[in-house]
Amino acid sequence: MAIFVMKNASVTINSVDLSSYCSSVAVDYNVDAVPADVMGTAYHVFQPGLENSTVTVTLNQDFAATKTEATIFPLVGTTTTVLVKAESGAVSATNPSYTCTGFLASSQPVNGAVGDLASMQLVFTGRVVKATT
Amino acid sequence: MATYKVLADNISGKQPGDTITDDELVGANIEALIESGHLAKTTNNKKAED
Repeated sequence: MAIFVMKNASVTINSVDLSSYCSSVAVDYNVDAVPADVMGTAYHVFQPGLENSTVTVTLNQDFAATKTEATIFPLVGTTTTVLVKAESGAVSATNPSYTCTGFLASSQPVNGAVGDLASMQLVFTGRVVKATT
Repeated sequence: MATYKVLADNISGKQPGDTITDDELVGANIEALIESGHLAKTTNNKKAED
């Protein structure tokens, strides 16, 4: 796969494919940098801490049965899986999947100013596992 | 192994009417999927053996 423009990412939240409602997605793979400075060095030294990855998803709102709001509302305050692929095709070395087992702390069932497209931004916090097969 | 009937058209890899097992839903919040109308619990009609 060469460089590409994001056009057809796949986003599955709690086994529900919400790709057709997703306008943006970001997988942030993070590990806490724990300071481990000691005398005698002129720069900061770190040890790897706890993983603190996030998946941030923006979804267009839809109150119809089994769509956006119905899927997300029961997930607030729980941990679930979010599977993200840059392209919707099969998982491969050039189209890896990233599965976040993450806690969803909040959602915005109603969000927007006059004239805006109703949407919600979700942040799942936890760990991310990459797969290529 | 618990099984569930798929009610919605957006369960990954399944169609409405399909059956899905809890093994296929590892990591998912099954209660949320039932509450949101995506799945229904499947009644087990098999009689317990005497």
